[in-house]
Amino acid sequence: MNTRPLKDLADIVRSKNAGPYRITFDILFKDKARYEAVRATGAISAESVAKAYGIGVSQVSSFFEIDMANAIKITIKRPRAQGSSGDGDMYGCQHHVPLMLIDVPME
Amino acid sequence: MAAITVLTPTGTLGYGFGDEALARGMALGPAVIAVDAGSTDPGPHYLGSGKPLVSDVSIKRELTALIRAGRHAGIPVIVGSVGGAGSGVQVERTAQLVREIAREQNLNFKLATIRSDIPIERAKRAVAAGEIVDFEAGSPLTEKLLDETVTLVAQMGHEPICAALDGGADVVIAGRACDDSVIAAFPIWRGADPALAIHMGKILECGAFSAEPFAMDVMLGTVHEDSFLLEPGSTARRASVKSVAAHSLYERENPFKQSGPGHEIDLSGCSFEQVGERQVRVRGARLTETADYYVKLEGARLAGYRSIAIAGIRCPTTIRALDAILDDVRRKALDYFAPASLSVVFHVYGGNGVMKELEPETALQREIGLVIEVTAADQELAHAACHQISGAMLHYHYPGIINTSGNLAFPYSPSDLDLGPVYEFSAYHLMKVDTPTELFPVRYEDL
Repeated sequence: MNTRPLKDLADIVRSKNAGPYRITFDILFKDKARYEAVRATGAISAESVAKAYGIGVSQVSSFFEIDMANAIKITIKRPRAQGSSGDGDMYGCQHHVPLMLIDVPME
Repeated sequence: MAAITVLTPTGTLGYGFGDEALARGMALGPAVIAVDAGSTDPGPHYLGSGKPLVSDVSIKRELTALIRAGRHAGIPVIVGSVGGAGSGVQVERTAQLVREIAREQNLNFKLATIRSDIPIERAKRAVAAGEIVDFEAGSPLTEKLLDETVTLVAQMGHEPICAALDGGADVVIAGRACDDSVIAAFPIWRGADPALAIHMGKILECGAFSAEPFAMDVMLGTVHEDSFLLEPGSTARRASVKSVAAHSLYERENPFKQSGPGHEIDLSGCSFEQVGERQVRVRGARLTETADYYVKLEGARLAGYRSIAIAGIRCPTTIRALDAILDDVRRKALDYFAPASLSVVFHVYGGNGVMKELEPETALQREIGLVIEVTAADQELAHAACHQISGAMLHYHYPGIINTSGNLAFPYSPSDLDLGPVYEFSAYHLMKVDTPTELFPVRYEDL
């Protein structure tokens, strides 16, 4: 089976602070069919996201599938608090690329 | 219960809204104008330093438009988390702008200011009594951390704002407040279902970010008996089920549960319904009051003073050797300035500048942007160390070097810039209180 990167299948892939100690990722799909097709592959999971960022699964703080919004939401713990020494992304809004490049099995 | 409409002019006061959108929104007969002016999102600096997030120029310009509109319609104007972090100096700074506006616009009204500063001793008593719970910081709040904290605030719920409305306030300038509560306070004060009002507050607090196309602009929400209705002020935008559902995920971890001061809201049973082209009806939030009332503390401490240098690197031999060069100059700087303690960080743009250890890609870049960052106990030391590092890097010799005249392209002279004090979050914990209003005194002034 072929694979396609998540960015070709999702409408929006974004990252943002959820408080100073978390970065939350939202994946929004154009419609229910696309959402369910991607969800059914299981390619987007706490495990696959941890792998994409080179972190342990324990650093993934939550994973939600949200039917009413045709969306998947994953939140990770920041390696360091927002604004503390070494932080390079105050709003956490440029952390989405490894997620959007995850390959999803799809014809 | 009669329907209650809240007009929220923008997502953050000072970030702008359309005049047409405000005029059209006011024509829809809102009962209150409510807007948020801060968050932890811009970082700990505004809490620690007391400096305002948005300039006085922008705040005054927008507050003038809102207070004039509010006074003209005879409805209150409520602003929460003023100044960016809602600290006492920021409340006073915003209140001073309101006094100027009253004078210059020849307006008379009652101003209420609500402080949200928490005395360090009060928080220490809570630590001793075991009444502090870690929220997400990952470690407990300690007496030592509190001793280092320069500013400590707590997020108020809707109750102190309702108290100000009870007192007859026409304009409420509130310190740190839960974003949702700023919007929800007036509808709750007038008898709306708190679950609906707070859920609406969560969506409305970002202004027209829940509309499409999204923007910092006017958004209206109307609470009814069993639902609320959302509509953007500008006819160039619409609320759609998709835009509202998408926004309900924004900047938060759990899309089904929303915790706030004294309550938890269950959103798992919510539904969104398109009404006409431009409105969305939302139903289904359920509120549970928590057994004890907790407020969220936000504290900042001084981490030191920072100097930075910005430079470009174009030579591929330098870029290939960069990791080793950075390790070596860092080590030498730490040795040179020992026993003084330094924090040295390299932001390597073109490498892993944005995501650091979370960056999976390793491809070599054509050009690198380097930010050398040094934090030390005082500004002079930070500057000295930053210059020592930028100078050492400029003339660093490494195996295979082809260009021996300098490794860094500086865009500026001086190459080393002093950024002043640096703050870090020191408290992000929940504290138990006896009543929702005890920490948030209201003061009135007749202007």
